[in-house]
Amino acid sequence: MSLRDDANGCYPPTEAMLDEPVDEQWQDNSKRRLRDVWKTPAGWRYWSAVNNSEVGKWYCLTAFFFMMCAGVLALAIRVQLAVPENDFLSAGRFNQFFTMHGSAMMFLFAVPLFEAISILILPGMLGARDMPFPRLSAFGFWCFVIGGVFVLGSVLFDAAPDSGWFMYPPLAIESEGIGSDIWLLGLSFIEIASIAAAVELIVGVLKCRPPGMRINLMPLYAWYVLVVGGMILFAFPPLIAGDLLFELQRSFDWPFFDPDRGGDPMLWQHLFWIFGHPEVYIIFLPSIAIAAMVVPTVARRPIVGYSWIVLSAVGTGFLSFGLWVHHMFTTGLPALSLGFFSAASEAVVIPTGIQLFAFVATLMVGRVTLNVPMLFIAGALAIFTAGGLTGVMLALAPFNWQVHDTYFIVAHLHYTLFGGMIFPVLAGIYYFYPVFTKKVLSPRLGKWSFWLLFTGFNITFLPMHLTGLLGMPRRVYTYQTGLGWDWLNLISTVGSFILAAGFLLFAWDLLRPKSREPDTARNPWNAGTLEWTHDVPEEAWGIRSIPYIRSRYPLWDQEKLVERIDAGRFYLADAAEGKRETLVTSVLDAKPIQCMRVTGPAWITLIAALFTGGAFIFPTFHIYTPAVICAVFAGACILYWLWTSTAPIPEQDRKPVGLGLSLPIYASGPESAGWWGVWITMLGDATAFISLVFGFFFYWTTKTDFPPVGSEHANLLFMLLGGAVLLGAWALTLYARDSNTKGHVARARKALVLGIIASFTGMALVIWSVRSTGMDPQAHVYPAIIHALLLWLTAHVAVGVIMQGYCLAGSLFGKLTPRYDADLQNICLFWHFLGFTIVVCVLVMGIFPRWL
Amino acid sequence: MKKPSTHDQEEREFGEEVDSLWRIVFSPLVWVFHFLACYIVTAIICAKMPAGDTLAGLRWFILGITLTSLVGIAAIGWRSWKQWGFVDDGVKVQDLPTEEHRHEFLAHASFLLSIVSFIGVCYVAVPAIFLDSCR
Repeated sequence: MSLRDDANGCYPPTEAMLDEPVDEQWQDNSKRRLRDVWKTPAGWRYWSAVNNSEVGKWYCLTAFFFMMCAGVLALAIRVQLAVPENDFLSAGRFNQFFTMHGSAMMFLFAVPLFEAISILILPGMLGARDMPFPRLSAFGFWCFVIGGVFVLGSVLFDAAPDSGWFMYPPLAIESEGIGSDIWLLGLSFIEIASIAAAVELIVGVLKCRPPGMRINLMPLYAWYVLVVGGMILFAFPPLIAGDLLFELQRSFDWPFFDPDRGGDPMLWQHLFWIFGHPEVYIIFLPSIAIAAMVVPTVARRPIVGYSWIVLSAVGTGFLSFGLWVHHMFTTGLPALSLGFFSAASEAVVIPTGIQLFAFVATLMVGRVTLNVPMLFIAGALAIFTAGGLTGVMLALAPFNWQVHDTYFIVAHLHYTLFGGMIFPVLAGIYYFYPVFTKKVLSPRLGKWSFWLLFTGFNITFLPMHLTGLLGMPRRVYTYQTGLGWDWLNLISTVGSFILAAGFLLFAWDLLRPKSREPDTARNPWNAGTLEWTHDVPEEAWGIRSIPYIRSRYPLWDQEKLVERIDAGRFYLADAAEGKRETLVTSVLDAKPIQCMRVTGPAWITLIAALFTGGAFIFPTFHIYTPAVICAVFAGACILYWLWTSTAPIPEQDRKPVGLGLSLPIYASGPESAGWWGVWITMLGDATAFISLVFGFFFYWTTKTDFPPVGSEHANLLFMLLGGAVLLGAWALTLYARDSNTKGHVARARKALVLGIIASFTGMALVIWSVRSTGMDPQAHVYPAIIHALLLWLTAHVAVGVIMQGYCLAGSLFGKLTPRYDADLQNICLFWHFLGFTIVVCVLVMGIFPRWL
Repeated sequence: MKKPSTHDQEEREFGEEVDSLWRIVFSPLVWVFHFLACYIVTAIICAKMPAGDTLAGLRWFILGITLTSLVGIAAIGWRSWKQWGFVDDGVKVQDLPTEEHRHEFLAHASFLLSIVSFIGVCYVAVPAIFLDSCR
């Protein structure tokens, strides 16, 4: 990672170099070239754009649309509950509505919006031209649109899931119709898109910062993105594993959650909440990160306690994984176990509180200007604190037992989510709006909508605490009169319409045409961070030239920064070869190490998303042949996309990027962004795998007869043999990499061919070792979980084979050479993880069951 | 901003710590292992133990791993405290563009996380003081 100054030229730039005037003729020419390269496609081709500024906008607006739809469902729920024994909605439709309200708000709004906002503003904060993998953002977005429309659309056909947003078996398993399948497959699809976004954002923060922006100088938002990205990698995969097991039971009757055949519904609750509780913080942290950007600006001073906020983000990220059982206090777990989770739930208050105190401290010592974003932040702090306090109450198991599944919970969770997410995000939209539209939102309408939202929210949800304490259970479609709930429900319903009015006003302000209004000033709030160097009127290039940064608030502290950026004084001010480029820097000190070419507009991402959608949507209707065809086409699209546009061999080895610095264009291994992308993706993948293995040991712990006495096991000899051959395939892949590096191309190719053969042989042996016995996955949960692991291993070995073949083809067609070997480096990383999977699978499928 | 000559020296002194970003998560990781150990061992013992047995052994086990974890976190915290060097230079806000500030910032964050992790480990161990049964 260290920079050899002699090899790359001069770094860091001296003040004299920065002071040197830039030739005006060159300024004009380079500006023109840059503009041409980054031009957003026009007309119908607009939809092939992959630039973060376009994809980010679509992403935000789509998430906002889904939120408004889910809000309409909530209003219908409130109308139904306004008076006792109402018949506005039937019981069945009510079930669908509250299930979709929760599912859509969580999966189609809260989590995707974090990704959307980050894709939109993170490159600006980091002075980067774009995200490191623009087509991946676009692919994730299109997956989100297709999955979201499919899931939410089911409400219109009376076919929506109706078992509550956490889909507890046995209710959700036994549920008739396709509702549960829509939930499982549609949302798995979106979860995968979320993981893709997390990978991109983590790599963006670690590798695409501007030169000089050391890790102690990065905007706090970037710290939060890093933490939340990491949390997504460990929180979403357990749910994906759970979804897989659930769908295997729904579709093929493998009894993972069926107690009659050894299964256990509690496994779902664990997997769901290992995801579900961190998810609350995945929603909360990036929203509070917006507050961390707004607060210093309105206080007109640097944030107080930067290190403390970093501590609080990282600490919350960790502790939030120790809370999941507090959603399961009434399930009869050992009291001591409940104690651990209760204690951890109290402990998480410490880091969560620290950041709020840091904000308050900043406001106290600064000179605050009360504007609309600050109004929303103030509202957020008030509401979130109230939600946090009921959270402390609910973390106590005995109190929790009393109010479990009542409206007290509904009140608590809405207080945390409105205070922790909705209000900060609205603050962020008011604050950042000028960056991405070059207009400002109306302060007058903003104040109106704030007060409507704030009062409407409290009128709706404050009474619910009492409704819950009076014993009204959640999720009932109606209630009898005379229980003391009538007037409270009526008040809540009235409040909900005031709240809705606030949202409508906001939506109008957001979407009303503003072409007649003047453009915004460039830095209307007088903020100190880099996104406020944006160009007015809009330019698609992201930033005119990538600056050298020496402060946490460069716009406040670095003189002449904006002039120099605009003059093209800094890095990458030109696009001489007509390629889209951004800088890659080192992780800690942000020393420039590579000039990375990024991809431009393409339809292939949209086509790949359509086929991926087909692969997930057809199985919902139990139609499998088209699903398989779609999956194959999706794979082909992705391969085409990788082959044609990733790690292309550059026309020159290195190029001058300005200020006397010359950087390599190609990087492979840990130096490259792609390698980090693979590493992070595989971390998520490994988490999903460990969740499946957790399932095996969960059954062993909770069941007295797992594996049942006298049950058949996989054939040990074939299993060990197969495992050994598969490990051989791993070794061959590594050998291919090393031979290739040393220049022995022919030897590398042979090793890859042998590796493919070994993969097939080894996998056939493992499959045979299970299938040659009488193990029937429908008969009992033991053979079922063995088959689930087998399925997982087979799919991964198949991907490993495709990768080996891809590199072999690359070597044969000159895309992969001893010098340009990024693909081979990346697949070796995949195979390391696969090696781990193979070893664990052989142990769990072949050896442990005999031994336990 | 330091002069270029000292810059080279800093380069040698702190340039080798590419992995030190990981170091800030060590203390929370100890918390994770402690938490998982408490939870998993309790779950297995409560599921497999014959009814009526006391949890004395389990509670000793929890005491043992709690003390071990606390010592581990304290060691990490002490190391970060030294690396931060607050008593030497009194720097609380590491916002300069130097290797030294980056170096001390990571130590500062790691130190603060050690405190939170220490408290977290104590919290998680508390139930084992008061509860002596699985039910």
